[in-house]
Amino acid sequence: MTNNNLHIVIIEPSSVIYEGLNAILGYSDDHFSVSRFGKIDEIPNYSVRKTVDVVLINPGLIQNNLKVYDAIRSNLPQTRWIGIVYSFFDQHLLSVFDDVFNVYDTPESIISLVRHITDQHDENEQGPQQEKLSEREIDVLKLLTAGNSNKEIADKLNISTHTVISHRKNISQKTGIKSVSGLTIYAVVKNLINLEDFKE
Amino acid sequence: MVQVKKMFVLPDLRMSDLISENPYLMLMLEHFGIDLVVSEKTVRQLCKENGISEELFLSFANLFNGFQPSVTITYSFSDLKTIIVFLRNSHQYYLEEKYPQIRGYIGQMFELNEQSAMVMVEKFFDQYFAEVTEHLQYEDQIVFDYVNNLFDCFEKKQAISLNADYSVNDYQEHHGDIEEKLEDLKSLLLKHLPLRDDQQIRRKLLFSLFELEYDLSIHTQIEDKILIPLVEQMEHFLKTTHDK
Repeated sequence: MTNNNLHIVIIEPSSVIYEGLNAILGYSDDHFSVSRFGKIDEIPNYSVRKTVDVVLINPGLIQNNLKVYDAIRSNLPQTRWIGIVYSFFDQHLLSVFDDVFNVYDTPESIISLVRHITDQHDENEQGPQQEKLSEREIDVLKLLTAGNSNKEIADKLNISTHTVISHRKNISQKTGIKSVSGLTIYAVVKNLINLEDFKE
Repeated sequence: MVQVKKMFVLPDLRMSDLISENPYLMLMLEHFGIDLVVSEKTVRQLCKENGISEELFLSFANLFNGFQPSVTITYSFSDLKTIIVFLRNSHQYYLEEKYPQIRGYIGQMFELNEQSAMVMVEKFFDQYFAEVTEHLQYEDQIVFDYVNNLFDCFEKKQAISLNADYSVNDYQEHHGDIEEKLEDLKSLLLKHLPLRDDQQIRRKLLFSLFELEYDLSIHTQIEDKILIPLVEQMEHFLKTTHDK
């Protein structure tokens, strides 16, 4: 499993805390890339462009905003959320995170928490890296390369668009290819489609 | 992107030592418009000679060495000119040197590896390159000119007259995902496309793609984390001073 290039977003109003965390993460052996945001609302737009693996967030920022937090979180199933604790927070509030750490914790334990939490989700979601596509994923891939939209694929395979999107995510994860034109080349190489069928 | 963490760049380090450790810094010098023959000069001396602020130079150099820019650094508005020169030079490097080189390798690879999918790879790259060109030209012609205009207004203490409706926020929306298709191409070459007699040329091609990716990822970070916040500050400054 690779922890390389974990992308971490820190949402924390205190620059001192942020700089401290940034430094701790920056000097660890793992390659973390860190971005800072002022508000949780900036996450959805941003995550369209870049996958956010872990969010470190001050619980105070979602305290009166739990609905927004839940909505954003449910849209980003891959992202892990960790609370940054340095004052008293209600236990219930802290329970909405995947985990929390205290700013008095040692740098090593904070790094190990970040590392550990992403390990976990890799096991849950895909297990050891397996590159082979499932039959259903191949069906989706074929329709995709034939120029169908998510909606059209959903209708043809009698599944929800949500499922189509999740298949597409898995396909991209397994192949390392995101664009439809790139996937088309993949499909030709693997003899899943004929170049002849695909004239464009 | 593979990036090994290097020395943290400080003003009194010698540039030649830094380059020995991380040769990509040669590209950074070139983007700044600094001569490659750095003799025994330190970072501080180079900055002074070339009229570049030390803070800015250190931020960029440390990005190349794998360190995130600190948010506590405040750049001055006059750094904008240097940033734009740097980004324009990078664009020129991509368009006139790096992409043509990669295109050349793909052509050579096609001669050795005649499977039908290679035709598609060529086409894939050509389409991708057209998208990249369009995006970079948009930045050159619209965004960077806008920033330069803005800076002129600032220097002449004028209100923002031109393009009053445009803002750097519009630019963020235009920010296409150039790095994604690069990643696709690497995956195809490294994982999926069967090898024929093209091993050497494929390796050269992959090296080129990694080099491009390295430079592009820093380019994006400079735009997102340094240029855009600084332009937003300036927009804000010009608007509030004028409203009074």
